[in-house]
Formats: sequence, structure tokens, C-alpha cells
Amino acid sequence: MKKLLALLLVLSLTAVIFAGCGSTEEKVIRIWVGEESVEFYQTLCDEYVAAHPDFGYAVQVKGMDTGTIAGTIATDPKAAADIYTAAHDNIGKLASTQCAKPIGDQSLIDQVLADNPESFRNVIYSTLNGTKYLYGVPYISQALFLYYNKALVTEEQAKTFEGLREAAKAAGTKAITVVGDDGYNMSFALLATKVSDHGTTVKIYEGADAVAGGSKGTSNCQGDDTVAIMRWLQDYAADENGFKWASPDGWDADLDKSNNGVLAVIGGAWHYNTAKAALGETNLGIALIPTFTLTEKAVEGLSGVSAGDVYRGGTFADCKCFMINANSSKEKYAKEQELIKFMSSKEAQNRSYLACLNVPAYVGASSYIEQCYKDGKVTESQYNLAAMQVAMAEWGIPQPFITGTLNSYFYSKNAPSVFRAIIDKTAYPTTGDTILSETESLTGVRKALYLVEYLWMHGTVPKEFPTDLPKHD
Amino acid sequence: MGTDSKRGKKAARSNPFRRIGNSFSEFGKRFTDGSVGTKLSHFIFGAGSFYHGQIVKGIIFLLIQLGILAVMIFCPSINNTPYGWKALVNLSLKNAFEGGEFDPATGEMAIGSDCKLMILFGFVTIALIFIYFIVWNLNIASSYKADNDKKVGKKPTTIKEDLKELLDGKFHVLMLTPTCIAATVFTILPTIFMIALAFTTYNQQDMNNLGTNLFKWNGLQNFAAVFTGEGSLGFEIKNRFLPVLGWTFIWAIFATLTCYFGGIILALLINKKDLKGKKVFRTLFILTIAVPQFISLLAVRNLLGEYGPINSLLQSIGWIQEPIGFLGLKATDSEILAKIMVIVVNMWVGIPYTMLMTSGILMNIPTDLYEAARVDGTSTVKMFFKITLPYVIFITTPYLISSFVGNINSFNTIYLLTGGGPTYPGYQAGGTDLLVTWLYKVTIDQGMYNTGAVIGIFTFLITATITLITYRRSKAYNEEDTFQ
Amino acid sequence: MSNNTNKKYRSQSKNRRISLIVTYTILAVMAVIWLIPLLWIFISAFRCEYQPDGTFIGRVTSNFFPRAVGFENFRLLFTETYYGVDHAFVRWIVNTLIISVIDCVISTFLVLSVAYCIAKLKFKLRKAFMNITMILGLFPGFMSMIAIYFLLKSIGLSGNPSHPELSLVGLVLAYSAGAGLGFQIAKGFFDVIPNALVESAKLDGCTNFKVFWKIILPLAKPIIIYQALMSFTGPWMDFIFAKVIIGADNAKYWTVSVGLYSMLFGTHPDTNLFTQFAAGCVIVAIPIVTLFMFLQKYYVEGVTAGAVKG
Repeated sequence: MKKLLALLLVLSLTAVIFAGCGSTEEKVIRIWVGEESVEFYQTLCDEYVAAHPDFGYAVQVKGMDTGTIAGTIATDPKAAADIYTAAHDNIGKLASTQCAKPIGDQSLIDQVLADNPESFRNVIYSTLNGTKYLYGVPYISQALFLYYNKALVTEEQAKTFEGLREAAKAAGTKAITVVGDDGYNMSFALLATKVSDHGTTVKIYEGADAVAGGSKGTSNCQGDDTVAIMRWLQDYAADENGFKWASPDGWDADLDKSNNGVLAVIGGAWHYNTAKAALGETNLGIALIPTFTLTEKAVEGLSGVSAGDVYRGGTFADCKCFMINANSSKEKYAKEQELIKFMSSKEAQNRSYLACLNVPAYVGASSYIEQCYKDGKVTESQYNLAAMQVAMAEWGIPQPFITGTLNSYFYSKNAPSVFRAIIDKTAYPTTGDTILSETESLTGVRKALYLVEYLWMHGTVPKEFPTDLPKHD
Repeated sequence: MGTDSKRGKKAARSNPFRRIGNSFSEFGKRFTDGSVGTKLSHFIFGAGSFYHGQIVKGIIFLLIQLGILAVMIFCPSINNTPYGWKALVNLSLKNAFEGGEFDPATGEMAIGSDCKLMILFGFVTIALIFIYFIVWNLNIASSYKADNDKKVGKKPTTIKEDLKELLDGKFHVLMLTPTCIAATVFTILPTIFMIALAFTTYNQQDMNNLGTNLFKWNGLQNFAAVFTGEGSLGFEIKNRFLPVLGWTFIWAIFATLTCYFGGIILALLINKKDLKGKKVFRTLFILTIAVPQFISLLAVRNLLGEYGPINSLLQSIGWIQEPIGFLGLKATDSEILAKIMVIVVNMWVGIPYTMLMTSGILMNIPTDLYEAARVDGTSTVKMFFKITLPYVIFITTPYLISSFVGNINSFNTIYLLTGGGPTYPGYQAGGTDLLVTWLYKVTIDQGMYNTGAVIGIFTFLITATITLITYRRSKAYNEEDTFQ
Repeated sequence: MSNNTNKKYRSQSKNRRISLIVTYTILAVMAVIWLIPLLWIFISAFRCEYQPDGTFIGRVTSNFFPRAVGFENFRLLFTETYYGVDHAFVRWIVNTLIISVIDCVISTFLVLSVAYCIAKLKFKLRKAFMNITMILGLFPGFMSMIAIYFLLKSIGLSGNPSHPELSLVGLVLAYSAGAGLGFQIAKGFFDVIPNALVESAKLDGCTNFKVFWKIILPLAKPIIIYQALMSFTGPWMDFIFAKVIIGADNAKYWTVSVGLYSMLFGTHPDTNLFTQFAAGCVIVAIPIVTLFMFLQKYYVEGVTAGAVKG
């Protein structure tokens, strides 16, 4: 009577085999956007569909964190939406693993090229079978800036790291933290530039090829200015009223004044609601990332930098883009591009600012933002939120990771944790052969920065440290 | 193991070669001795059943044959990945193609092969072939049995009789079938699939770096990488495997023993003679078992947080100046402290469970043992060590083993409390990561499936060794053989 | 002599009193330690503190006892939109309830049927079945998790963009399919039922089915309840498997534990949701704890059987 067993087993296996075949194509275009803007884009698209009876597709918008989207799509592109949003630094990865489809519609390409600043235009392309295509359509720009506690910090104090420290001394707390210690948030230190001429020696993958396995361009993070900045930050972090890492309880627990944690935090627009909850809107100050002045101790033994040089903390100034899923059927392609063209139009971006405080990505958005404030459509902190991001864009660069390799080498090969080790002055255990134990000293910082650069370029730790640093491999 | 004769009998029963040899001679006999129907059954399933007038049975056999053959020949495909003979060819992954041809005007884009589905479907197809031959054998056997029935003058069984037999002599077939099917599809197949991945280059990180979505077989290289430290896989495993393994053992030993003895002591306390409110106490401790672990453990985690109530209490009474990082959530936190804390918190989780379990056993200890001891004037403490403990340990040895293995695979406590921290810069595996939490991070978070599979296989080998050694020696196993 | 015994007796009873008092103290201290985290979650659920400007404080605060209490967290939990899903919490509860009830029925049936066969029937592959089961059980569960997801996805029962609700079916399958392999405890229970009972029934002409249905099952009430309790509560406690099978994008069909876990540790965690998380925990924990309390006896029986039999 094992027949019955066998029959059932066969039936279930054949059912498994055939079940997937019968699914029919639906007349729906699915979109994934950031959680904060789900309702807005659903309404927007519904309006569009209603106004264009011949559109022929219903639109379904779902909210998801951008990081999750990139992760989900990479593992399983077939389960993902037709149109999804991704930070531009994922374009290289998504394109090369056939998770994204290029934009082909010339009118959409023209709109993208006409509306967006050059910095964005450079990083939304990727290569497919040797041809360069436009992949992402920018619609939100984002950058790091400063949240601070207005009750305890004056506007003037919030302009400099030293001022914050002074306020922290008075309040008996630490001055400042940053929302995370990953490579993105560490850009506040890495990309700091001299205020007088916006100068820095830091280079990240300059001139890299947009092809997987292609040239990684040139990188540099061992300049004397970077060393000096790290030395300065080491001191600032060692100060009992200086810098602290975000608490595992959450950086907002640091910001909450009943905990006596910190007075200010470097973060992005997506932290607005949490920061507001921690401080209350009336106490929530928003400003540029502050400046700092190099001390004698920081520049000791270095040339090309001198005590008294003023630097401003930097940021990656990024854009979030709409992209098309490579697995989306070709029948939908034209309609998808039509929809993206609409959703990324200046008008739609403006509306998304008013509805969800997304900062528009197009050139000249600042005048609209100002107009909204003058017209009383947004509150002061909402205005500052956008205005400071736009202003910070001048002090930063978009993440230059035009292939998946660059993205992974920069973020996932532990360069960020070396920064953390430098600032904490802790030993950095790498492979056992190359333990870096003297991060406290000048040579230690130099070696650590060499390690960072090596990780960026090779994705792995060097066998040994060269004796003649700075040295670029 | 029992006596020699028993061992000999067992060997004969389980000698696979002899069994195969027997079956082959039987196959030949069935073909030569069988009726026309039986002979025909070798080629067309159910022919013998039709020959003997067992129509329903015949149809079932025939449908199975046609179904499997249809899948094998026509190769239905899901997500552009076929089953059938094509799936067997695909199993080599040699003809996986990269795709990427794109027409900007129409939006048509060639999507590359899905290597993981190629492997998965290949295995499903192999399973189907296995089933094909099992059914082939069954259908011949069924016909041959009917032949023999006829020879001795019995009628071949009707479908009604067959079904009736299912409720009696073949009751186990009816009862085990659902589990066998479910286990094949949802346990055995996935396990084989994951084992197979250990022999591939399926590593999402590497694939992203190379800009491809294809992977291929690479033999034993992943295992070799554990020793050479080559590649993203070896780097992680070579440097972190031994520390993680060591900690996994330390953890399992401490977690098992602390909860075990803690539980026994608690049970003794609660079951103390004359103690009132036994039920109340017991209920209180069961409460902690009943509350889902992700709730109670997250509560503990937050209680111990940097700004949590415990740190602020310690600060306000002046015992500490700076908050203590109990759980290693920051890279600079103490690893030793985090390790101690997870073991301590695990006692909180595990002691009530052992208490419940041993309570029943304690109450069953023959009282005359105690009476005798009391007459001899033995002290209470001595009685505990001389009578209670040996008795309880004797009875609960199987539990001790299974709880040790369970602790090796204990995920919740570590994942929810420390998340594996404090992190080791450069690696996925942190200071308190066990093999399982490491496996989780590597596969689910990082998509390094081949690395995960290698870790999983190692974990299996370790738990299997422990279980085999202890379980084979245990009373339960050896008695099991003779129980009926 | 009698005086002496009396003295001895009195000192003994004094000793006993002291030792009782010590025991009570130890137990009381332990009970407090064991209850503090649970108590804290419970009172956090009722915490209702505000910033001076009216912003609600939901994060962990350093004060153990709340400064103000109310039902705000529960109100928010039932009315708020989480992860873009309206009334998400209610949906999660309903999803979990459906899954756990179906899983409970299927799993209990599978476990009992397998356990009965292994314990009381003789057949050819019995030992092989037990050994295979044991070997499978030694693989870490997470290893096959992702493969199960791919498998379910290829038949459209997971990650199916046009029918996201089918993920629930997939999850039930994933939960209950392997249940039959966890027969050990129930087998331990059946082992204890005397074989003579089965044999005599068979002599009376009972089929194996009748033996199972009429004799074994009525005797097996404790173990049925134990298994049902275990498989019913399983989906309320699992936050890993459910998330992988249902999918991070599929918040509408999450189970309650995935939802609650995601509030604090998702990709978009919000520390200010802690008190709402606590409220959710209270709502989830109360029915489960009640169930456990009512079925305590059976639970203890199952646990003990498992311990002895291994």
C-alpha cells in the first residue's frame, strides 16, 4: 500500500512543479518607496491614473526602507516591485547583477539631464554589456546636517565644535554624537574640507570605470590634512565634554536631555521625527555641520596644515532614485517610464517636499523651499531641514560608488571600523599578521589611514605595513 | 550494545549489500516467473493490475508513470528554469548564461539564469526519478503478489480490501505518509540543497563584486579555504572559526550546567516539606516560561541598556560613574562581561524549565531511601549528594545531552541579548556569537550562502558526533531496541 | 531519656523553622529577580509621559516606575499605521491567530500519528525512520530556512507579488511540515502505555486504526494538549522564520512577533516605539500566559516525559 504514499508524493511534487506555471500577468505596476512617502506617492499615482484613462495599469505603492529594498532586490529580484527606489550608490550593484533595467525613453533622459546638478548626473549611469546607460532617476536629495538642543546651545555655539563643547561643559554632558558609525555617517569626518577654499586631499575612487572589475580609479585618505583631522577628533573624543559614539539604546536616547547624553547629533532628514520626539519641536535646532579649528597638537609633525586652520565637517550629498526592475515585463516598460517621468517631475518633487519633507533633487529647488517658508506652508524647523541639506550639498560629494565592488569595498570591508578604532584609540585586530596597536600616535593614525585606503582599493587587509608612508598602492 | 548474537543479527539485517543482492535475484525471478501482466508491468505501470482486474490501482500506477514521464520529457519551467531532463543537464551549471542583452526601445531584456533554482530543480527531478523507480518496483510487486494469490486459489485483492488493509496491517503507511511527504519537501530537500551550496561559489558579496548573478561549482575549495584563509570565505572562517567554536562549547557547558543545577536546587527549595505556597511559587516561575522569549529577553536587554534603569540605578547610588556596557553592544565593551552576562541571563531563562522537569522526578524518589539514610543519621546536605543528585542525574541523562546539543544551537538568547557583540572589526562573528548566530548573520544578513553552508555542515558534524557518542551509550537507546 | 528526646525534638523543630524561613527568603528573592523584567515590560506598557511641549515619550527611560500612567500606548497600538499598514497591529494579531490555529491542528495530528506508529507498530523501516529523523534534527534549522523560502517562492507561496496573502499559507506549511519529525516526546508518552492493552484489543479483533482511535487517543489527552499548546504558541514566539518566509516588504501579512520585533530592531527601528512595543507584548503575553496557566498540568507532564525519555 505504499502506492498511496507514492501517489501523494508524486502529486505534491508535480503540483509543486506546475503550480508556478499558471500565473497570469496582471495590470498592476508595483512601486516600492521609502516608508515615509507611501501615502503621498499612492495618492499622486492614483491621480495620474485617473487623469490618464488610457494608462491601462493600476498602481500599487508599498513602503520599505531603502536599505532593505537594495538587500531584497539583490537576493531575490523576481519578488521585488516593478519600480523601486534606491540610493544612487546602489546603482552599480543593482545594474551589474541584473536587478535593474536601463532607462530608454529619450524624453525621460532629457528631463533627468536638464533637471539635475552635474554631481548627480555623474553617478546615475552604469554599464550593461559594454554600453553606458542611465539607470536611476533622482527625485530626493539628502545630506547629513546637525540637530541640536536649542534649550542648551545657542545658535552661535552650534556653529563650531568648540562652541558645542563649551555648551556641553556648562550642561555637564558630551557635545555631539553621530547617528551611526558606518561609512556613510563617518563622512562627516572623512569629507571635512577647509573652509577658506573647500580644499581636501581626500579622493575616493576618482575616475573609476563603471564596469564591474574595471579600474577603481585613484583614492587617497592619507593626506596630512586627514591625519590632522583624525588627530584632532581623537582629542575631541577624549574630552569629557566632546564627541561620543551613539548609545546602543539609540542616539535619540543620547539626545534626550533627561539622560544627560549629548547636545547635538549629526544625522539626516530621515531622523527628523525621532529627533523631534527626543527634544520636542520647540527645542529642535537644525544647522550646518559645525566647523572646527585644528590645534597645535593635531598638526604636530605634519606639513601642509597649520594650527588655526578652520575645517567644516563634510557629508555625502546623495540622491535617491527611481529604478526599474529588470524582471518587470517589457509590456510595462513604456508605462513605467511614463510614470517615473511624472513622479520625478519638479512639480511632483515640490509636492513631496510639502507632504513628506523630502528635499527635492533638481537644480534650484532652494528657491521653492524658501518660497514655501515665506508663504507659511512649512514651519521654521521644516524649512531649516531642507535649507540646511541644500546648503550642506556644497560641502560634500555624492557617494562615488559606481559599481557594486566599490560600494562593497568602501562599506563592507571594514574600513569604517578602522575609523572607529582611530577615534577610540583602540587596537585594530585585522588578520593577526597586521594588528594595529598604536592608533594613538601619529604613525599609528597614518598606518590606520593606509589600512583604510588599502581596504577601499583591495577589499582586504595588506600583508604588512610599508615603512615609507604615505604610500599609495 | 548487547550480546554478540544480537550484534550479529543486527548486522545481517542491515547489511545493505546482501539486501541489494537479494532484491536483484528477486527482480529476475519476478520477470521470469510472473504472469504476462507482471512481465508487462516492467514497462507499463499498472499493466499487471489491469491484468488482474484491479482497475483503480492500475490507473493510479499508470497516472504516476505518465505524470513523471511528462515532467521528464516536456520539462515545464518556472522562472525560466526547467524541470525534467533539462534540469539534470542544468545541474552542472555549465550552461548558465549571463543575459543582459537590452533593447532600449522595447525594454526587452534577457535575464540571466537563476543558478540556485537550477540546482534546486535538479534535486527535485532526481527525487522524482527515485520515486519513479520505487513505484516501478511496487507495481511489479503488487502484480506478482496477485499472481501468487491466484496460484494458491485466492482472488487478487480489491481496492476496497486494499483500503481496509490501510487501516490495519498497513496502518503505519497511512499515518506516516503525510509526514514523509512533508519532510521530503520541506526538510530533506532543503537540507540537501544547502549542503550542495557548500560546494559552490554562491556568495552574494563576491557575486556583487564581480558584477555577476551566476555562480558555479567549485568542489572542495570552500573547505580548503578554511585552512588556507583564501577569499572572503576563508578570511572569515579561518580566523573566527576556532574562537567561535571554543566559545560555543564553553557556552553550551556553562548554560547546561548552570540551568541544570540551578533548576534542581530551585525544585528542592520549592518542594521542601512543610513549605506553604508551593503552587504560587511554581506558577510564578512558569510565568517566565510562558512569556515569549523575544519579549522577556528584549526586556532584559533594555533594562541593561546604557540609559536603562539598572545603569541609572547603579549610577545614582554611586557604585559606578560611567554606564556599564553589560551586553557588548559597543565595540569597546568588555567581551568577558558580555559572555558572563549571557550565561547569567540564560539562567534566568532556563532554571524554571529544569525546575519544572525535576520537580516530578524529585517527588518520585523512593522515600525508603531517605528513611534509611535518616536512621543512619545522615545530614540533609549529605543526603542531597548521596541520594537525590545521583538519582536525578541518572534519570535525566538523556535530557542533559539533548539540552547540551540544544544549547549549542541556542539562538534566541545570544541574538536577542548581544546580537553577537562586541563586534570584531573585520568579521561578521563577534565576541559572543555562537555557530548558529554566525550562520544566521552570514546567510540571512550577508547572503554568503556557501560560507553559511560550510558553517552549518561543521555544526552538524559537531552535534552529530556528540549525540552519537553519548546517545549510543545511553540506556534509552539500547533499551529502545528491545522494547517491543 | 524522654526529656532528652524532647529537647532533641524541640531543637530539630527549631532548626526546621529556621531552614524554612531561609527557604522562604531565598524563594522570595528569586521570585522578585525573575519577575522584575516582566513587571517592567508590563508597567512600561502603561507609561504615559510627555515632553513639556506635548511630545509623547515612548523610548526607554532611566526611571523604572513611570511618572504617569494611562492607556495611550494601547490606543496608539490599535490606531497607528505601522510600516504603511493601517491597523497593522490588529492585522498581525489576526494573521498570527489564523496561522497558529491551523498549525496547531496539523502539527498535533502529525506528531500523534508518527509517535503512535513508532511507539506501537512494528514495520520494516521503523528504525531507519527514527535514525533519519535524528540526523535531520542535528542540522541547524537556519540552514534550510532560506532553501525553504526559495522552494515556497517557486510555487508562489512566498514572495508572490500578485498574491502576498499566500505567504501565510506558505508559513503554515513551513511550520507544520516538519512537525511530524518532533515526535520524541509524544513517543515517550505512548511508550509508557502498556503493550498488553494494545495486544488484547487486537485479539478482540480491533484493527490498528481502531486501537489508535478508541484506545490510545482517549488515553493520550495530556500529550495531545501538550502538543497543541506547543504548536499553538510557536507562531506567537517566532520572529525569524516568519520574517524570512513572509518577507520584509509584506508588513500587512506579518505575524505579531515579527511586527513587534521590527518596531525595535527592524531595518527602520524607532526607539520611541518602545512603550508601544511593551503594550503589544502585554497583549500577546496575556492570552499565552493564561493558556499556560490553565494547561500547566499538561505542560509539566510533557516536559517531564521529554526529560526522562530524551
